[in-house]
Amino acid sequence: MKLDAQSRRSPEQVAAVIADVLAGAGAELVASLPDGWIAPLIKHLGEDARFRHVPVNREESAVGLCSGAFFGGKPGVALMGASGFLTCIYAITKINYTYQIPLLFLITLRGAPGDEARYHVSNGLYLRAVIDAIDLPALYVERFDELPKIAEAYRHCQVLARPSVVGLSRGVLKGTE
Amino acid sequence: MAMDIEECFAEIAGARDDEIVVTSAGNSSEVWWEKTRDLESTFYLEASMSLSTMFAAGLALSYPKTRFWAFLGDGAFVMNAGVLFVERQLALPNLVSIIVANRCYGATGRADLPMGAEIDFASIARATGIPNVHRFESVERMKAEFDAAFRAAVPSTVVLELNPPQRHYESPPFDGAELKYRFGRALERRFDRKVLP
Repeated sequence: MKLDAQSRRSPEQVAAVIADVLAGAGAELVASLPDGWIAPLIKHLGEDARFRHVPVNREESAVGLCSGAFFGGKPGVALMGASGFLTCIYAITKINYTYQIPLLFLITLRGAPGDEARYHVSNGLYLRAVIDAIDLPALYVERFDELPKIAEAYRHCQVLARPSVVGLSRGVLKGTE
Repeated sequence: MAMDIEECFAEIAGARDDEIVVTSAGNSSEVWWEKTRDLESTFYLEASMSLSTMFAAGLALSYPKTRFWAFLGDGAFVMNAGVLFVERQLALPNLVSIIVANRCYGATGRADLPMGAEIDFASIARATGIPNVHRFESVERMKAEFDAAFRAAVPSTVVLELNPPQRHYESPPFDGAELKYRFGRALERRFDRKVLP
């Protein structure tokens, strides 16, 4: 896998790299809800035989599904937008913190500089603050060559026995950073 | 017509073979604990607000040859009826979702459910395409149809029509970490595979 920080790439190429990082870390189950920025990644994971991809009805259901699947021996991956992630706070604290169940969240950094959608302003203002408020270990990926952090976060959630989150910037997902 | 939860759960517990159980908040956890004292093969998922069947689906994906029974309170179901679509999509033949329909928030003062008396949970399940749906108002009928409802080889939903709880029940006496390790280590022994770090 080549992680050249200089050259531009397509969102589909980025998706393929993220899939390789996840597979290399040992992840198999991915539950997702869409966000425009991760649509190519969701499509890729749905077609990649290394993963069992489950589209769910709401983000909390991803938490439930992945938490049960942890007892199969591997943490799941919950892939979603920032808005959906913010609906999961109760599920994270009640299920994953109470029962010490690891889980990797891959989320979009909506509302950050570069996101022109005004309806994501609240995410820009409060997303990182909420993550910090519940002491959720977080890594932020804002350059292409930082994508291996996803594997670090997947391993680290198992060490901590609680979830971790990786926030992915628009530039990384669009292939411009 | 509706069943007494203690009588109903005692019958289910007595008919249980090697099924693994996930309970929901409140009465299903408490009464199942009272009737079984199960320390290892039940995950008492208390207060997840509708995620017990999703949790069980994650387990059922991981252990396709083992049957999972997942209780879900009707209050929880009303919060997140869309879980049925995910269950239908997953089409897990080893998962039985059991809706505990006492028509109220039974563990929190028996507060009313919205439209609680009128909701036809079985029809909702059928409408999503769940192929095996049973609704029981009496223990006798549940006994007669038990295997068809709880041991079919297709995705199943069982609706238990129950009277509201008549007393307070004891909560399972576990903290979260203890339950995780009891449950996880029991899976490791049963399936001879590594589950927990």
